[in-house]
Amino acid sequence: MNANAERPILEVEGLVRHFGGVAAVAGATFDVREGSVTALIGPNGAGKTTLFNLISGFYRPERGTIRFAGEQIDGKRPHWIAHRGLVRTFQITKSLARMTVLENVMLAAPDQPGEQAWRVLATPGAVRSREREVRHRAHELLKLVRLDALADDYAGTLSGGQRKLLEFARALMSSPTMVMLDEPMAGVNPSLGLQLLEHMQTLRDDLGMTFLLIEHDMEVVMTVSERVIVMNDGRVIADGRPSEVRVDEQVIEAYLGAHTEQDGVEGRTA
Amino acid sequence: MSTLASPGFWAFVGVVAGIFTIFALGLQLQFGFTGLLNFGQVAFMAIGAYTMAILVVTVEMPMWAAAPIAIAVAAAFGLLIGLPTLRLRADYLAIVTIAFGEIVRYIALNQHDLTGGPQGSVNIGSPETPASYNDDWLAFQGKVQDALSSVFGNVSKDTAMLAIVWTVAIVLIVVLQKLVKAPWGRVLRSIREDEDASSALGKNVFSYKLQSLAVGAALGAIAGLFFAFQFSVFSPADFDPLTTFFAYTIVILGGTAKMWAVPVGAIVFGVIFAGTRFFDFPPFSYFDSGERAYLRLIIIGLILIGLMAFRPQGIFGKREEMVLE
Repeated sequence: MNANAERPILEVEGLVRHFGGVAAVAGATFDVREGSVTALIGPNGAGKTTLFNLISGFYRPERGTIRFAGEQIDGKRPHWIAHRGLVRTFQITKSLARMTVLENVMLAAPDQPGEQAWRVLATPGAVRSREREVRHRAHELLKLVRLDALADDYAGTLSGGQRKLLEFARALMSSPTMVMLDEPMAGVNPSLGLQLLEHMQTLRDDLGMTFLLIEHDMEVVMTVSERVIVMNDGRVIADGRPSEVRVDEQVIEAYLGAHTEQDGVEGRTA
Repeated sequence: MSTLASPGFWAFVGVVAGIFTIFALGLQLQFGFTGLLNFGQVAFMAIGAYTMAILVVTVEMPMWAAAPIAIAVAAAFGLLIGLPTLRLRADYLAIVTIAFGEIVRYIALNQHDLTGGPQGSVNIGSPETPASYNDDWLAFQGKVQDALSSVFGNVSKDTAMLAIVWTVAIVLIVVLQKLVKAPWGRVLRSIREDEDASSALGKNVFSYKLQSLAVGAALGAIAGLFFAFQFSVFSPADFDPLTTFFAYTIVILGGTAKMWAVPVGAIVFGVIFAGTRFFDFPPFSYFDSGERAYLRLIIIGLILIGLMAFRPQGIFGKREEMVLE
């Protein structure tokens, strides 16, 4: 894995996106290295979630390019990008409420021939055997996030923290090469959160999986990630090791100048 | 009372319930499973019936060739409607489809040369010779009647139709059930729940919505074919928007996202609808027939309101699903 450590898997250059005259992302440029756990931080309104939406194809950038594993992905549709192995979770969770917890996870499985109607009728055997593998894997992932006891409950009955965990399991089910997590620890019980972070590191070490996470808990950010990208006003203002970033003057300015984190006030005046 | 006791009458009710089962199966797939608000399902029924009749009468095609083409044409129109609208929000699809249904009906009403105009299918050919599109069908129905009679003894024409329609309906339900229980159906349901989550997991939401719309349209067309065969003549008035809402009533009455709930919903609705037609015993006999016609609709409305009040989730729906978000 170390051979890859310096190679960028995600390259973002000069990304711009406005909403009604406000530049939510105003020329963001950064790389994410393959096999790294990278944190994306910044005051509220810095443009982090918009950036996620741009990278995952939910918004189209007005300017700039995004490359994933050497392939240009800007302007592509979300499912195309997810198919290439770049999968995201949502800040406001999107659990499929009237499907069971197990179904939520199974849905994400790649290479299920039964997702094509004609294969369901023509090759039911192949569909069934893949479905068995998928169910087995889904149960494993649910055990990992401690939701296995709730496998047959409707996802709509889960708490906010449980929904975050479900999204995490769902993202892993899709066998991604890179996962973008939008505040994965929000509402999750801290000891379980810690275990998940450890698991994230295991996946990184064993499979070379890359993680980019938006996180507000600085302790989490500083312990788990080897690199930190700091955004403010739609731009990347710092990018480096946690120890470098925490003493960066622009970063301190961005956080202390606006008092955003605790107050919940918009970090930016339009 | 005499009509309500006659088996012939109930065979007829059964045939219509079977046709509406097939018709509503399309809506169940689109609305119940995929969350698509198609308010113009009747258009596909009309396209199915008219395409078949026009091909048989004007092109002189055998019915057995015209019928599959009619189904394919309806499915193609499903795709055509979906392509520009499925990327829009759900309520826009509802507006477009209800307009599409009316466009189809108005074309049928006004393109006299093609569709026979307001008089309907009898005028499809030349005005002098009343057109008949169902000779092939009647021959087939006769054979089924003979075959059934040789087993069960003296089976009526309507009973033969009942057997054919419900055989087709059950085969369709079994196939659809297989599909919706499979991963294909899981993707459809995920789109109904949250299409962004679905596409974030690599599902091509647009493609699945198109498939759902096209398959539902084909089912509407099959219902249209049986409608045409059962009544021998049809006209644009048979395809007013109300027909679509009857199908919604069936889907909601039976329970959404359950294929087997559709035939039950259709039978319950059919019995309520047809059974109230002959309320000629006291106290209803105190009213004249014109008043009774209105009274009947009031009673149908009250029964439906009552059912929804006690079982808002439908007969087979799950109540807990209604409160989740």
